[in-house]
Amino acid sequence: MDFDIIFGNAARAAFGPEAVILALAAIGLNVHFGFTGMLNCGQVGFLLLGAYGTSVSVATFGWSLWAGVLIGLFLSLALAAALGFPTLRLNPLLFAIATIAAAEIIRILIGSTDAIGLTGGPLSVSFDAGAFYDLNPYPDGPQDRYGIGTFEFTGQQLWVITVGWALIALISLAIFLLVRSPWGRVLKSIREDEDAARSLGKNVFSYKMQALLIGGGIGGLAGVIDAIKTSGADPNGFRPQVTFFAYAALLLGGAATYLGPVLGAVLFWFLREWIESFLRQLASESWLPGAASDFLDGAEGIISVAMVGLALVLLMLFRPQGLTGNRTELHLDAR
Amino acid sequence: MPDELTPSPDSPRPAATPPPNPAEGPGKGEIEPILTVPPVPGAPKPNPILTVDNLARSFGGLRAVDVDHLEVERGVVTALIGPNGAGKTTLFNLLSGFDRADSGRWSFDGRAVTAPAPDQLARQGMIRTFQLTKSLAKLTVIDNVLLGAPGQAGERLWTAPFRWRWRDQERENTGRAEELLERFNLAHMRDELAGTLSGGQRKLLEVARALMANPVLIMLDEPMAGVNPALGQSLMRHITLLAHEGMSVVFIEHAMDVVTGLSDWVVVLSQGRIIAEGPPWKVIHDDDVIDAYLGRRRAGDAL
Ligand SMILES: Nc1ncnc2c1ncn2[C@@H]1O[C@H](COP(=O)(O)OP(=O)(O)OP(=O)(O)O)[C@@H](O)[C@H]1O
Ligand SMILES: [Mg+2]
Repeated sequence: MDFDIIFGNAARAAFGPEAVILALAAIGLNVHFGFTGMLNCGQVGFLLLGAYGTSVSVATFGWSLWAGVLIGLFLSLALAAALGFPTLRLNPLLFAIATIAAAEIIRILIGSTDAIGLTGGPLSVSFDAGAFYDLNPYPDGPQDRYGIGTFEFTGQQLWVITVGWALIALISLAIFLLVRSPWGRVLKSIREDEDAARSLGKNVFSYKMQALLIGGGIGGLAGVIDAIKTSGADPNGFRPQVTFFAYAALLLGGAATYLGPVLGAVLFWFLREWIESFLRQLASESWLPGAASDFLDGAEGIISVAMVGLALVLLMLFRPQGLTGNRTELHLDAR
Repeated sequence: MPDELTPSPDSPRPAATPPPNPAEGPGKGEIEPILTVPPVPGAPKPNPILTVDNLARSFGGLRAVDVDHLEVERGVVTALIGPNGAGKTTLFNLLSGFDRADSGRWSFDGRAVTAPAPDQLARQGMIRTFQLTKSLAKLTVIDNVLLGAPGQAGERLWTAPFRWRWRDQERENTGRAEELLERFNLAHMRDELAGTLSGGQRKLLEVARALMANPVLIMLDEPMAGVNPALGQSLMRHITLLAHEGMSVVFIEHAMDVVTGLSDWVVVLSQGRIIAEGPPWKVIHDDDVIDAYLGRRRAGDAL
């Protein structure tokens, strides 16, 4: 049992591209759910359109990567508008259902055999993200590694996460500047009581739409990075659980805080990879019964995801406001 | 603060009637034009801020509001009274756009209200409070009040991130909000979350927040329910002073002494219909009102 390796793996996952993508998805969700109180259950839909918008533009239409990025972002904004206009004036639960349904419908359409010519259908689509890696300042020979022990990245990976974390920093700053302003005050008032906001002259629909676009666009950006990271997209990568992983990260870190979604995403991937590596080591030293090892290999990390779920349950029991949340706020609901 | 401007039932004002001049507000020593209005349901007013025609709203078979004609005078304090379930809150909801009328027309501040949207009416200056308070629990008390401020540059997405664009306005608003908190005995709770306030404090907060919006017409649904009577009365007197500076006030209230002490005009609703209106000391002696609302036995006690 080598805990250095386990820790190294966990740390690599916590700062790697997967965590970047999850953090961005959770930041977007925080704008929807944390600050505005909109129950978006289909955040993955925005990621999906970001990723496929980029991939299809380059792979199928042969446009440049940067055009693809813009199209990916545009499509995720278009999804926000298309979801928001019909549903935001109605019951909030209808919005929740519409988001999850829209995300699933898009995933199924894109992954259907009829769409093979356009999106690759059930096969994944892949493209050349060279335009992005051409900008990579890190030497990227076959021997080049950055980091220590198992906490190491290739030059390409390091470039992706450098850009990713820079974007996270920029976006978090922008969200901070927005939310501490009177504009953010209106968002929170809508979360607390829409009718109170209306009675004071705030156009609730307009603010919700703005929040939906901002959070959806950030989700789209997460998808774009996903596409660049894997040089393609696969419909199976955009199942509904992605949304719930983003919720898990958000709640772990603390909803309606500025750093909560980022901390939560880091912690989520750290825990998940730590448990996964730990179990794999157990299995390799045959301390684990054969059936359990099958689980490890068969379903994609099913045990580690279950463990993260357990961690979340424990967190809700002992620190329900999340890592960075404010405990007094939480107890107001009980009054 | 003596009740100079609020006649008591014992000393009705002499009914001297100088010609009403709607263009000017009631000056010092002048009789308010509202006192020249005949005390009959649906009476036209010299300078109405709100005019309602044939407004109706039913819930199933129950006709909750059925108002043929109502005018609310500008710059005075109008009390809306009536027994429980009379339709007072429903009338507020209809007028402020929070509920849809089955039929009817009304105009506010000279403009016909064609597609009533609550936020739009609020921006035009019709600010209402709720019988069941809507304090924004996870916002601080001061933020609750600041939210009321109209025309904030910082509430626009494009200016919000740039603090220097809204800092001065925010400072000005904060000053005004703090004055209001002071007046409403909430200054010590300034930075607490509104969810930690008591029931009465929430009522106070909601009225302060409504005043922050600089209303043209403020509609208060039982603003002093659960508030300690001395503070409640002093605040309502403050609001009546604002009325004499031009703000129009409609408030729903059950306590008769508050109504007679504070209002210039009383509208009585029963089973959705206006059964009487007039100056408080007259309305209270109206037989229909006593029958419908006060009950004969209690009429003597109330005076
Ligand atoms: N949303 C609703 N659905 C069904 N019935 C309603 C609804 N709102 C009000 N009512 C009914 O309409 C009538 C008037 O209610 P409203 O709340 O306007 O009374 P009120 O005069 O404000 O009474 P109170 O003094 O007790 O506050 C009541 O009989 C009530 O049951
Ligand atoms: Mg009521």
